[in-house]
Amino acid sequence: MSDDHGLVEMQPTPGQKLAAIFKQREVRVATAWGVLVTFIFFIIGGWIYPSWMPIAMSTDMKSIERLIVIFTWISAPICGIVLGFSIYTFLHRHKGDTPPADGPAIRTNSLVVGLWVIVSSALCLVAIVYGLIEMNTASAATAEHKKNAMVVEVTGSQWAWSFNYPEQGVVSHELNLPINRPVEFRIISVDVNHSFWPVQLGVKVDANRLQTTVVDTTPNKLGTLDVKCAELCGLYHAYMETSGEVMSVADFDAWVTSHQGGHTA
Amino acid sequence: MTTLDHHASVRPVPNPKKSLITKLNMGTGLVVGIIFAVATYYGLGGDSAGVFENYNRTLLATMFMWSIGFMVGIGAFIGPFRWLIGKDLTDEEQLYLAGDGQGIKRYFKYCTDHKVVGIQYMVGVMALLGVGGTMAMMIRTNLIQPGSKFVGPSIYNSLVGLHGITMIIAMIIVVTGPFGNFIMPIMIGAADMAFPRLNALSWWVLFTAIPVLCSAWFLGGIPTGWTAYAPLSVQAGPGMNAFIATIIIFAISTAVAGANITATVVAMRAKGMKWNRVPIFVVGATMSVALAIPAFPTFMVSMIMTGLDRSYATTFFDANLGGSGWLYAHLFWIMGHPEVYVILIPGVAVLMEIAPVFVRKPLFSYNAAIAGFAGITGLSVLVWAHHMYMSGWMPMLNGPFMVTTEMISVPTGLIFLVILGTLWRGRPWLKLPMLGVYAFLWNFLIGGITGLYLSDVPADNYLHGSMYVTAHFHYTLMGAALTGALAGLAYWFPKMTGRMLNERAGYISFWLVQIGFQVLFLGMFIAGAEGQPRRVADYSINFATSDLISSIGAYMIGLGMIVLLWAVIHSWRHGKIAPMNPWGSKTLEWTVPYPVPLVNFDTPPVVTSDPYGYGKASN
Repeated sequence: MSDDHGLVEMQPTPGQKLAAIFKQREVRVATAWGVLVTFIFFIIGGWIYPSWMPIAMSTDMKSIERLIVIFTWISAPICGIVLGFSIYTFLHRHKGDTPPADGPAIRTNSLVVGLWVIVSSALCLVAIVYGLIEMNTASAATAEHKKNAMVVEVTGSQWAWSFNYPEQGVVSHELNLPINRPVEFRIISVDVNHSFWPVQLGVKVDANRLQTTVVDTTPNKLGTLDVKCAELCGLYHAYMETSGEVMSVADFDAWVTSHQGGHTA
Repeated sequence: MTTLDHHASVRPVPNPKKSLITKLNMGTGLVVGIIFAVATYYGLGGDSAGVFENYNRTLLATMFMWSIGFMVGIGAFIGPFRWLIGKDLTDEEQLYLAGDGQGIKRYFKYCTDHKVVGIQYMVGVMALLGVGGTMAMMIRTNLIQPGSKFVGPSIYNSLVGLHGITMIIAMIIVVTGPFGNFIMPIMIGAADMAFPRLNALSWWVLFTAIPVLCSAWFLGGIPTGWTAYAPLSVQAGPGMNAFIATIIIFAISTAVAGANITATVVAMRAKGMKWNRVPIFVVGATMSVALAIPAFPTFMVSMIMTGLDRSYATTFFDANLGGSGWLYAHLFWIMGHPEVYVILIPGVAVLMEIAPVFVRKPLFSYNAAIAGFAGITGLSVLVWAHHMYMSGWMPMLNGPFMVTTEMISVPTGLIFLVILGTLWRGRPWLKLPMLGVYAFLWNFLIGGITGLYLSDVPADNYLHGSMYVTAHFHYTLMGAALTGALAGLAYWFPKMTGRMLNERAGYISFWLVQIGFQVLFLGMFIAGAEGQPRRVADYSINFATSDLISSIGAYMIGLGMIVLLWAVIHSWRHGKIAPMNPWGSKTLEWTVPYPVPLVNFDTPPVVTSDPYGYGKASN
């Protein structure tokens, strides 16, 4: 490390320093552990979240699933570095009841610190840029769908959801939606804060009193929807849930016709 | 400052016979406190008025008067009162307050010795963790299968709120209370804290908050979660007053303690202890309390406003009359996000202090450690609205808050670098404190990465308000910060009690807790990803497997913590007598004997290097 006292020599370039670091056996073994961990996290990341999460029934939910997978991949090398080096030192631990002999007096290593900051900043930047692009895609879609979106007015109250379809003249406690038509939810609460969460659609927003919040999505898969409340809202918060369905256009029209004018469950 | 120093060499037997101070203790505090409380309660008409606002007013006043009464009864105001009338405590009285030679009694008095305060905090924290942990067991028992069969939604919601606030309070003081008070002044070579009477004040004020918090049980509980969002909190029953009063009292205690610790580190370091020679634990603890000083007042303010809404029908948070629930959320999270780092940083700093000792290497890149802490501290005040991505408050600002939040991963990365660099090329001695370093690396890695998903706005659309969030913050607060605190307990136990912590019980407890922890929160991550909201008393059948896994893990943690409690109590009384410096550490606290003398050092130490001079030079 510091054997340059009194010697007039060319300083090694950062590249040569880096190569020298990787010539050490312990670095290579720890790196091997790190690569193994990275590989495991990479593989797991690809299927574990999609296997846990419910079926994606909108483009938003699909992009969330993809984003979580990609973030897991970005994190895999971080796990590799941290766990690879941890595992190596753990396996080379000192046994016994007396303190071990002193190790090398390494105070710092500016190359390693610099590299660490650059790499972690770069990974952080990737995550930020990726997230901003996804947000931008979502708002572009919102603007595009503004005109032909079907409006659903969602009202949260302790402890039930109700849905008003002004265009169709239907009021319901079930959230039924036609497939492939953009839908704009306008959410409000009549009492405390709730949070409107149609789980399979991948959108969520709070229901506030006297403040309408808006969120939109496009259901693109037929199936059953779970609607939950994601903000503690009092005694029966856990039971403030309902269901619904993403239907074919014909089924939706039939449902509308049979419910028009009346308030039904 | 006290006048203790010039008495150190003479040590007269304190004999302030006639002084009122000698008559006062926790018992007189309780009596006066209860008298004040009862008088206030009935003076304001009790609950006979039957009006929501009147009753809330009465209860709040009763709780504050209890706290004030207790402090009067224990003698907290004698010093300031004397000072107001132009006198001060006599030297004898000051020495008496320091409690030297008073044995076990001093732990029940308004004692100014920082070591006594440290032990008081330690016992207090253990009690809070025990209560909060018991409530966690009840929560997991209720969730072991669908149907909410154990307690039902009303009690369940109260358990969630009380578990949350009890654990938050315990975790805020878990390191800076016991170790910040007992160890830190010795570590920097000081004779005591900068303001010993304020030190006693901070502990006893905190103590008065505990019965107030417990009273919530008898007033209908805290049904709002520890976030206490308005308007739910304005609507809630009388138990909410206990929450409000607890937070206000606690905020006073933290402000006093924070100012005291900061002043001590700034002004009372030993000769020669320049800023680049200060042990990293002291740096971390100081940054943490310095961050708490601006953060907690907003929580206090939000609670004062909630209290006014409830007891004077003001409308700060009532949207019908021009208020806003978002105002509350902002005030809460402006405190709430710095607060998680107030909890985290001291725990990490403990582990950074431990690692060099057990690897016998210098702390790797002291400057990177400081930069990591400073970066986190600085950024933490700019990220609060990531808790409000889904509130609908202002979606346009989600992007900027996402950027600041994800930037925190860079200084956080430095923390990993410092610890890994310290371990690297050493042969770690895996005593109990050192095991905590490894547990931290794994837990904080998982906590940090899952935080990355949550910081991202699109992913938060799905994960916000789900069990995933609960699992994430338990990984950071419990997996990282509490692990650091328990490692600190194992590390400093010999200095604080004079005995070694029972190793075998310690190992059993460590593995039970850590494995149980992984099982519990892995199950909870799955439940969250599957779509289970948090804070629910009941859930549908498709979450049953993951919730069952979580509950099994919770019982393992419970068992492990009972083993640890036994180990602490047993070792404190019968443990092996500890040598002066069992770990071969180079920090100053290991240079003083047990019991630590009243003024810590016979001759004030002079510091000539940082405490990390381990290791042999490579040539």
